[in-house]
Amino acid sequence: MSDEMKKKPYVVPIGPIHPALKEPVQFLFEMEGEVVKKADFAPGQTHRGIEWMGMRRNPVQIVHLTDRICGICGVTHSLSFARAVEQIVDIEVPARADYIRVIIAELERIQSHLLWAGVAAHELGFDTLFYLAWRVREDSLDVIENITGNRINYGLVQIGGVRRDITPEQHPVIHKCLDGYRDLLGKMLNLFLHDTTISIRCKDTGKLSFEEALHLCTVGPTARASGVVKDVRVDYPYAAYGDLDITPILPSAYGGEINGDVYDRIVVRLLEIEQSIGIIETCLKEMPEGGIIWEPKLPKLLAACKKAHGEAIGRHEAPRGECTHYVAMDGNEAPAMWKVKASSYSNLHSWIPMLEGEQLADVPIIVASIDPCLSCTDRVAVVRGNSSDLLTKEDLHRLSVEKTRRIQGC
Amino acid sequence: MALPMIREIFTQLFRTPATNQFPARHLPKSVTEFLKKVGSGEARMIPPVATPPAFRGKIQYDRDGCIGCKLCLKVCPAHAIEFIPETKRVRIYVASCIFCGQCNDICPKHVLTMSDEFLLATEDRFAENQIVE
Amino acid sequence: MLTVILQTVAAAVAFSVIGIVVGLFLLGIDRRISARMQARIGPILIQPFYDIRKLFSKDNIVPENAIPSIFHAAPIVALASSIIVLLYLPIGSMMPILGGYGDLILVMYLLAVPSLAMVAGGFASGSPYATVGSQREMVSMIAYELPLASAVIAIAWLLYSSGISDPFTLQAIVENPVWTLVGPIGFIGLVVLMLTLAWVTPAELSKIPFDSPEAETELAGGLLVEYSGKNLGLFTVAQGVKTLVMGGLAVAIFFPWNISPLLGLSSYAALAVDAVFFFLKVVLLMIISVTAIRTGLARFRITHVVTIFWVYLGLAGLLGLSLIILDSVVMGVL
Repeated sequence: MSDEMKKKPYVVPIGPIHPALKEPVQFLFEMEGEVVKKADFAPGQTHRGIEWMGMRRNPVQIVHLTDRICGICGVTHSLSFARAVEQIVDIEVPARADYIRVIIAELERIQSHLLWAGVAAHELGFDTLFYLAWRVREDSLDVIENITGNRINYGLVQIGGVRRDITPEQHPVIHKCLDGYRDLLGKMLNLFLHDTTISIRCKDTGKLSFEEALHLCTVGPTARASGVVKDVRVDYPYAAYGDLDITPILPSAYGGEINGDVYDRIVVRLLEIEQSIGIIETCLKEMPEGGIIWEPKLPKLLAACKKAHGEAIGRHEAPRGECTHYVAMDGNEAPAMWKVKASSYSNLHSWIPMLEGEQLADVPIIVASIDPCLSCTDRVAVVRGNSSDLLTKEDLHRLSVEKTRRIQGC
Repeated sequence: MALPMIREIFTQLFRTPATNQFPARHLPKSVTEFLKKVGSGEARMIPPVATPPAFRGKIQYDRDGCIGCKLCLKVCPAHAIEFIPETKRVRIYVASCIFCGQCNDICPKHVLTMSDEFLLATEDRFAENQIVE
Repeated sequence: MLTVILQTVAAAVAFSVIGIVVGLFLLGIDRRISARMQARIGPILIQPFYDIRKLFSKDNIVPENAIPSIFHAAPIVALASSIIVLLYLPIGSMMPILGGYGDLILVMYLLAVPSLAMVAGGFASGSPYATVGSQREMVSMIAYELPLASAVIAIAWLLYSSGISDPFTLQAIVENPVWTLVGPIGFIGLVVLMLTLAWVTPAELSKIPFDSPEAETELAGGLLVEYSGKNLGLFTVAQGVKTLVMGGLAVAIFFPWNISPLLGLSSYAALAVDAVFFFLKVVLLMIISVTAIRTGLARFRITHVVTIFWVYLGLAGLLGLSLIILDSVVMGVL
């Protein structure tokens, strides 16, 4: 074998469909032995054209379409979208609705982080912990189902408020679940953070430095695990978050230094569950009386939306980080423009510095550590094209010139 | 070396499992036969998990109360409701329905309601129980 | 002469069939217990038999890049070699069928053959996942060989120094339980060796935490990724037999006692009772050293596997060996 042959790295493809990935995305790794030398990824495998659908519907229809963008962040997208529309139409949301929105958003954070914890355990080959995390997640889903009427696609948020109130009978149900989680959290922290097999796999794995986290504009727990103090709930308070006392959780809250590794991301997410429990309890206690929606009569709401002109950005701190919806309305029933930027979109690029130089065995847990949600993220897929599925600025310019000429007929 | 899970699994070994069981212990040769047997009390069925109070299941439609105002069509995100001009009534395709329940909210006559029926899986999206009219 | 050969062959065939059936049962028990530990109900005990029936009713799919001859030979070699090891093991009070034709050293080498067959099959699959898996399997084989060898050598040396003839035959080991040959220091040494062997077992069987060659989440099955249908069925059967073999080996070395003398039974009744007792011992050992470990731990990286076996368990094996030697020296002086 010549020297060149020996040195030639071999390529291991992972995805679009692979047990390590819970949603389709393609990775290509240039390997040297067990070590990843170069990593690249290609998203865009699960694009469903949901914005196209939205731009042919009125806001009241879209708000429930947004529930279906992601199966986990059911309230994230509808809340962001509703907030954008509320700004355009100039709707004042009743205070009680704001509190209910916060309660459901935090319940969602609890179930999403538990789901992630299970997935992370599975990626580490620790299926017992995966079963445990998903088993205890059921309690939060039961409470969500009790409040909203559905386990996953809540359909709770409406433009101008929420559709269902939290009745006094529901308070004990919620409190029972939260108390259960409070007891359980110590056990979860012990099982995740004090298990030797987990810590040797996760410590110093998939490191993302503070600078990289800042430069790549990472959001949510991924950024906070690297020490970037960033939380939309604190930085730009909305709904009832302004009334609450929240501090962004950094891994140093559990003692120890901030390394920005996978272990820190586990710490941040588990501690955020505890924070969410506290937030919900405060909200239940301080929830004011009053209406829950700006306009209960949907035809009137539709008419108000139809008259509105303007553009706005609605944002929300999703379990995975900041999620923004841009909406522009021009006096028609359907919005002139609706653009979704999910939190994972900002986090995906941190994969590259995390993955390069790591072992192949750690690829699944590193990929999972940013909690990627690709069905949230994929807004574009190029189905036509020659050899490459990437369009550069020049390509786009050339294509637009060609189209203009075609339209002009010359 | 700390392995907290080892203790956990040995205690779990002597507890009851958390699995929700299938309605029948073994796959019956014929499901309809099995259901008949359950009806006559010969076989036992493990009941499904209870639905919460305000669950949003299969939609129900009170055809006689409907006034054909077409408001429900305006708010249905999935375009699952079709208006039949001849009869001035609507037809709902359950296979397209996303169970948001907005049509219930907007209906001025309250003829649309959500039931707690959720066993709707089928291979034929135009089957009899998949269309409400 | 001819009758002896015929008897041996007949017994070997009967043993193979029994070994396969018992091995699959072991897999079923393992899955069931593991499920209960994870708060699941788990499959019925005979689920592996259903799996095998399904796999054997399916076609083999051979990848385009594969070398078909090696690809097809690997599962057969793996199963055959696992069964041969079984024939060298004493089952309860029944002496091994091939006992006169080989010793513990041969068993050690034979134990490596199924893994080697899997490595060959993996490389022959022509898939990058299988190639990575095969490389990892080779590395982990080299890794766990050191503690395994030191344990075997320690025990053989113990028998030799106690003046027992043919110290390397399993027969001699079974007839002279090792615990009776040592003093207090040697006893500690034997406990250390037993724990070492308990950690080698999951590696030998490619179970979590040592299942990096198959690593479902990163290699999608690694070595076995391209195997399907009958070939995969053969590998599953081989896995069952191997589980029985590893359990049987540990029983033979460390827990060779039989229950029939206590009950005052003789002849065939004794054989049957001892065989059942042997199976119970194997199940108990498997639950402790395979099921509990694979349920309660996360998967190691291949580098961790090497460190654990070469550094920690290698040292543990050598420590056990030295303690046993020290024991006999002290005993000799006294």
